[in-house]
Formats: sequence, C-alpha cells, structure tokens
Amino acid sequence: MATTGNNSVNAKLVLLGDMGAGKSSLVIRFVRGQFLEFQESTIGAAFFAQTLAVGDTTVKFEIWDTAGQERYHSLAPMYYRGAAAAIVVFDITSSESFEKAKKWVQELQKQGNPNMVTALAGNKCDLEDKRKVEVEEARTYAEENGLFFLETSAKTAINVNDIFYEIARRLPQAQPAQQPAGVVLTNTPAQRSQSSSCCS
Amino acid sequence: MHETEQHDLSDDSDYAAASRHDVSRSILRSDSGKSTTSEAGGSEVVYSKENVAIHPTQYASERISGRLRLFKQGSSLFLSWIPYKPTTDGSAVLQGQGSSSVPLEKDRYLYTIKSLPLADVHSIRRHTPALGWQYTIVVLSSGLAYPPFYFYNGGVREFLATLKHHVFIVRSADDANVFLVNNFRDPLQRTLSSLELPGVVSIANRTSFHKPRISMSSLDDPERVNGATYDGTSSTSEYSGQPKKSHDPARDISIQVLEKFSLVTKFARETTSHLFCDSHDGLNAYEKKQQNNYSSVKHTSSQSDEMEKTSDMSPVASDPLEFEELRLIWGKQRMHPLSFEEWTSFFDSEGRITDSKALRERIFYGGVEDDIRKKVWKFLLGYHEYDSTDAEREYLASVKKSEYQVIKTQWKSISAAQAKRFTKFRERKGLIDKDVVRTDRSIAYYEGDDNPNVTILRDILLTYSFYNFDLGYCQGMSDLLSPILYVMEDESESFWCFVALMERLGPNFNRDQSGMHSQLFALSKLVEILDSPLHNYFKQADCLNYFFCFRWILIQFKREFEYDQIMHLWEVLWTHHLSEHLHLYMCVAILKKHRKKIMGEQMDFDTLLKFINELSGHIDLDWTIREAEALCTCAGENGAACIPPGTPPSLPIETDMGLYPQDDEVL
Ligand SMILES: Nc1nc2c(ncn2[C@@H]2O[C@H](COP(=O)(O)OP(=O)(O)O)[C@@H](O)[C@H]2O)c(=O)[nH]1
Ligand SMILES: [Mg+2]
Repeated sequence: MATTGNNSVNAKLVLLGDMGAGKSSLVIRFVRGQFLEFQESTIGAAFFAQTLAVGDTTVKFEIWDTAGQERYHSLAPMYYRGAAAAIVVFDITSSESFEKAKKWVQELQKQGNPNMVTALAGNKCDLEDKRKVEVEEARTYAEENGLFFLETSAKTAINVNDIFYEIARRLPQAQPAQQPAGVVLTNTPAQRSQSSSCCS
Repeated sequence: MHETEQHDLSDDSDYAAASRHDVSRSILRSDSGKSTTSEAGGSEVVYSKENVAIHPTQYASERISGRLRLFKQGSSLFLSWIPYKPTTDGSAVLQGQGSSSVPLEKDRYLYTIKSLPLADVHSIRRHTPALGWQYTIVVLSSGLAYPPFYFYNGGVREFLATLKHHVFIVRSADDANVFLVNNFRDPLQRTLSSLELPGVVSIANRTSFHKPRISMSSLDDPERVNGATYDGTSSTSEYSGQPKKSHDPARDISIQVLEKFSLVTKFARETTSHLFCDSHDGLNAYEKKQQNNYSSVKHTSSQSDEMEKTSDMSPVASDPLEFEELRLIWGKQRMHPLSFEEWTSFFDSEGRITDSKALRERIFYGGVEDDIRKKVWKFLLGYHEYDSTDAEREYLASVKKSEYQVIKTQWKSISAAQAKRFTKFRERKGLIDKDVVRTDRSIAYYEGDDNPNVTILRDILLTYSFYNFDLGYCQGMSDLLSPILYVMEDESESFWCFVALMERLGPNFNRDQSGMHSQLFALSKLVEILDSPLHNYFKQADCLNYFFCFRWILIQFKREFEYDQIMHLWEVLWTHHLSEHLHLYMCVAILKKHRKKIMGEQMDFDTLLKFINELSGHIDLDWTIREAEALCTCAGENGAACIPPGTPPSLPIETDMGLYPQDDEVL
C-alpha cells in the first residue's frame, strides 16, 4: 500500500514476469543506473529502495524483484500482496514471455490489491531485429486490461525512469495511511485469505 | 490382544535375549499398547516401544537404541529399557566404525533399566517438539533422573496414556509437560486428577519400595550381559526391596550414570536439575523464573537490552556472556588446507581410504589444497566410495563416461522437427540457456563470448534434466554445478558429481518447496534455542518464515562468498562432520552476529531481506564456520532434534529402511 506523510509517499512495487525478461536489469538500471550484460539470476527475491520526486511529492519506492521461474511461482503472493504497484515485464523477443506476462496480469487482477497500479513493460526494445511481440499487440492488450504500457530497454535505459515515474504519478496519493509501510506479511484478513502462499 | 510374543519377565536375562532376537520382527508391527500376559512370571507387558534411544553424547549417531516397556506385576507397574545387543550382521554395529564414536560396550549396558518400579518415580517430563524426536525424562523420587529417552518411532503420548491407566499421574500445575507420579501432596491436584482420571490403578498402596536397578554388573563385565550368564541383579528376590533411605546406594550408581551424561546438553541437565529442586523443596523455582521472564518480555519487548534477559529462559546457554566463553573454547582454530602429501597418507596400498572419518574431520578444519580438490570432492560427494580401490575407480570412471554419453544422446538426438513438437524440451532447454549465460561469467573459466565451458555447463544441466526428468531444471542449479565443473574440468565426471550432490540437495528444488520449507523451519527452531531474543524479535516482527535466508540455503551460500571461498566452504559442509546441517548453524551464526543491528534498527521483513542480501561479500567465512561449529556443539542433541530426519541435505528417508535410520555416518 502507498502511505503518505508530509508530501512523501512510500509505495511498495513488485516486479513480475518470466525469467530472463529483464526484471532485475530494469530495477538495477533504475536504482543504480547500471546495466550488466550477465546479470545473475535472482534467487529468492531481492529488495531495493529508490526515491522519485513527482511535483511536490516524493515517492519512495520499495521494490521487490522476484525470481521468474514457474517453480517459484507459489512464493510470489508473498511479494505482491499489499503492493501498491506492479510492473509486469516481458521480453519483446519472446512471445512466450508475453504469454507469461498475461498470466501474471490475470493473477494480479484476481489476487492482488484492487487499487494496484499496474504497468506492462515490453523490455529489450533495443533488440528490434529480434522482435517477436509487436508494439500494437501489446498496447491493445494493455488497454483492454487497464494497464499502462511502455517498451523499455534496461540496456540503453530507454523508458526505464519513465515507467517508474509514470507509476509514481498514478499512485492514489490521497490514500490514507492504513498501515505502516513495509509490513508485508500482515494484511487485512480478506487479502490474507485469498493468498495461497505457504510462506506467510 | 494376546497375539504378541510372550515373555517371562521374572527372568530378565531371557527377556533381554529374547528382545534382541525379535527386534527385526517386532518393529514390523505396531507392538505397543497391547497387553501380553506371561504365564510363568505373572507379569503383563502393557506398553512396549521399539527404537527408544538414549544419547550418551551429543551426537545422534552415537545413540544407543533399545526397547522401552511398561509391565505389571501384581498391582505394581514397572518400567524397563533394554538396549539392543550389537550384532555382527546387524544394525547396531552400524552406529559407528570410527573408534571414538562407538559407544563402549560397557556404556551400552550401563544405562540398562531392568525394572524400575513406578512407585519410585517422581515425575516424567515430556518434550514433544513439532519436528524432531520426542523424548521424555524420568525423574526419580530420590531426585535423580534418567537420561532422556528419545522415541524414534514416536509414541510418547501412548506411553503417558498407558501410564495414566495404571498409576496415579497428574499434570503439574506449573508445567503442562511435567507429569507428577504418585503425587498426593497437593489436595487440589488430587481432586483434579481423580476427576480427570477415573479408574486409576494406584500403586500407592504398595508396601515396599524397590530401588531403581541399573544393571551394575555390566560395568564390571560387559560379556556377562549376554544371555544366561547375566545374572547379577536379575533375581526376583530383589523385588522385595527395602525401604528407601537417604543414603540409598542406588543413588550413587545413578550419579555415575548421570556423570556419563556430562555431554548431555545443558537443556536436559537444567530440566532435570530444576525438577530436582521441585522434588526437594516443593517449590518450582524454574517455572516461576520463567514466568517472571515472560512477563518482563511482555512489558519491555521493544527494548533490546531487556530482550537480552529472555535468554535466561533459553534452553541452551545463550546468555551472551556465557556464549563468549563458549566461543573461546569451541570455535576451533582453522587449520591449513589438506596437502597432497597428507592426502596420500590416508590411502592404503590399493588406494582405499581407510579412515574416512578422520579424513573428513581433517577437511572440516582446513579444507583442501587446490591441486587435490578434484580427487577429494569425488569422495566427499559420494561419487566415489571411500573403500574403493584405484582400479575400481578407474573402471567406474570409464563405465560412467559411457553411461553419461547414453543419457546425453537422449536429448542430443532430438531433431529440430522433433523439438518443434516437444514443448517441454524446448522450455527446459530455454530455461537452461538463459541461466548458463549468466552464471559466473566474471570467472575466467566462464568468461567471454562463445566460451566452450558455458556450453558444457549447458550440456550437463540438460543431460541432468533428462537423467532426473521429474525434477527437471530449476534456477539455482547452474550455481551448484558451476564450481563442480570448474574443479573437475571433465564433463562426465562433473555430471556424476552433480548427480551425487543433487541426491542431497535435489529436494531444495521441489515444486512444492518442501525441501526449503523444512530447512527454513528447522532454522527457525534452531534460532529459538540458540538465540531466543532474536527469535522473539522475529516473532514479533512477523519474520518467522525466515524467507530472508532462502538464498543462503538454496544454493549453499554460493552467492555470498568469493569463488575460491565457495569451494572451501562446500568441502567443509560436505564432510558432514558434526552435522549434515552445518549450513543451518551458519545461518544462525550470521544472524546472531547481526542481532544487535537487526533488533536495534527494528528491521521489518523488507529491510531484513535487503540487509541480508547486501551482506553478500562481507561475511567472514572462517569466523562463520567456527561459530557454526560452536553453536552446533552447544546445541547438541537439542539442535539435532530441531532438524527432522530427511531434511536436506540429509538423504531422503527411504521407507524400507532398517532398524536404525541411516544418519550422519553415511556419506
Ligand atoms: N539487450 C538487452 N538485454 C537485456 C535487457 N534487459 C535485460 N537483458 C539481459 O537479459 C538477461 C536477463 O536479465 P535479468 O534482468 O536477469 O532478467 P530477470 O530474470 O527477469 O531478472 C540478462 O542477460 C540481461 O543482460 C535489455 O533491455 N536489452
Ligand atoms: Mg532477476
């Protein structure tokens, strides 16, 4: 949940998507301004924090980067539960990763926080010659599902800050502070009961 | 009701002998809770449980297993515990080949309880952890206690239920896990218990006392324990007994017994000693102290210095000061790595490793030098048997090489057209392709474009996913394989070493996460006994799932250290010296080290995960191993009891196992 206080908002954001789509690369580009050709795979989950100024409000993103493999899927609810925002990432050179992205969107619609701001990122847009997912296809899907869509490249940094900035802008800033930020595992009973995580 | 074997319990030597013979038979059925009337002796077995063990040292591998029984003679109830005899073909011998780990024969029988009248029992404390072995501690009216009985096959409940039926037993008002036997002092308890336990056969009307008989004769001559020659204290005349005196000679014997247990963990000692207090002055100081501590926690739970106080109630020494001392004593100095010369001294003329235990211990304390790592790992991982000869291993290598090729061909021969129609294969290959290109690419061995070693890494993982199709490929596996290939420099040998490693770590990648959950759960239990302030903090901060340690455990700290340190750490872990689960004690050590910061900064789950992830590259490996060693020794049996059998990297439990579940001895 996003929480407010003195013009500053804490917002929990989760990155979801197929393994290798570039989730870790996106967040590392955003947080550290770096890109590693051989960014190691994410084991378990990684947590980052980064602050953005939007108008006169500062948004402190608390970012959960998750492991993408199907096998770790059961752990994901632990991270997206209570998240104010999500970026669902796919790799534009892989139609399979786009299909996986759709599944994540569905799951968030069913299980996630209903006020969640969700973005769809078509990553690796620097690899135009290997493109498998057309911009229009992804954009149409995003519109139909109430997501906002950007093509990004963690490698060239295209649209990376923009996607986080756009999320920050769309956060319901007036949302009352219902609970302290950072409490992942305790949530409203309704949300908890929806979860199938065995880790809570 | 009466189909179980019959015994003449008045003749203990026969009983002991018989119990040895039908061990294998009787464990095949549920043999407890059935009554057996013996015609000759007039004694009736009302409870019998196999595989009830005592642990003379802190190592589960050195336990002495036996049969626990309750039997009735007339209106009196007796308890007996007879250790199994080690057999030449059998399991008891399995308990250890290394000289120091074998319980001495006289020790084995030292703990024998031939017939303990329940009239002499003051109380029974039960300990039934959600995971791990249940045990009970029997405390005598004299104030002495028997060592904990570990119920490897469960059955503590049944044991107490049976007792309930036959003796007057009440639950202590102070501690729900303490059952007072023959306690008529407290009228309130008496009333409660008579309400609760109708039809209790009281043994209070027994006129004579029998002293607890611990078979002394075995001390002098262990051979005599065997069969009919064992007659020392077994005659029925002893049952006539004498009124108990304050200078009961049995007491001295028991003290001897207790001294034998000087290595029994502090927890057991504390528990029993507090119960002693209880029995002598009628006060329950321990529980009162506990209550005080609990309430102090309640009121000041946010203050870390107050939290320290809670360590008082930790079952194992976790008082910070005391710990400092223990650390000095126990965290043994690390040694230099095992050299080639030293390594060769472990082999006999045909190339067998004669004392694998000593070798493993040596490696535990220093690791190995680079030039012999390739050879050593094959043994540590279990690809090579310690008692194999040079010739056998050479032969094995060639057989295994072609076997590997066969499996590899299974996917190599899949044509493009076939792959198009084989989604599962394409997916699997896709996962592996994605991961190998981002595995340790900064290491020279895997560096650069079109590095052939990256291709080999891929080929081995893909072959493994065919060898173990059910498990398939899972992220993290490439991390585990990378150092193995780096060390072996050979595709087939690396594959088989990886297979051996996955025999133990495979469950880490189970779809249902069961392997990880059991380790994380064991970890939480270990922290609970080894650092209760931190445990309480995690509990209050809702961090008890320990998910922040997921990466440490999944890939054995692979991401936390430099490459050469990883190799050192892994060979230390793979010795399974002290524990198969040293990695869990390492987790405790690191968390404990940062306890002040974690609690002082009131880290929540997110912050904690970030903090732990960022420790990568900043952990002192030698310190952590030493600390883990100390914690493991300190936790002793209680630590082991936190880790249920079959928890990775223990080998998975097989259902058709013999009498003694295979444990740390097996590599
Ligand atoms: N060309 C290109 N490669 C990328 C981009 N983002 C990530 N990658 C590469 O894709 C691979 C997987 O990236 P990673 O961030 O680890 O993906 P994750 O599994 O979703 O976290 C890595 O080798 C990255 O270097 C991008 O925008 N362009
Ligand atoms: Mg990642």
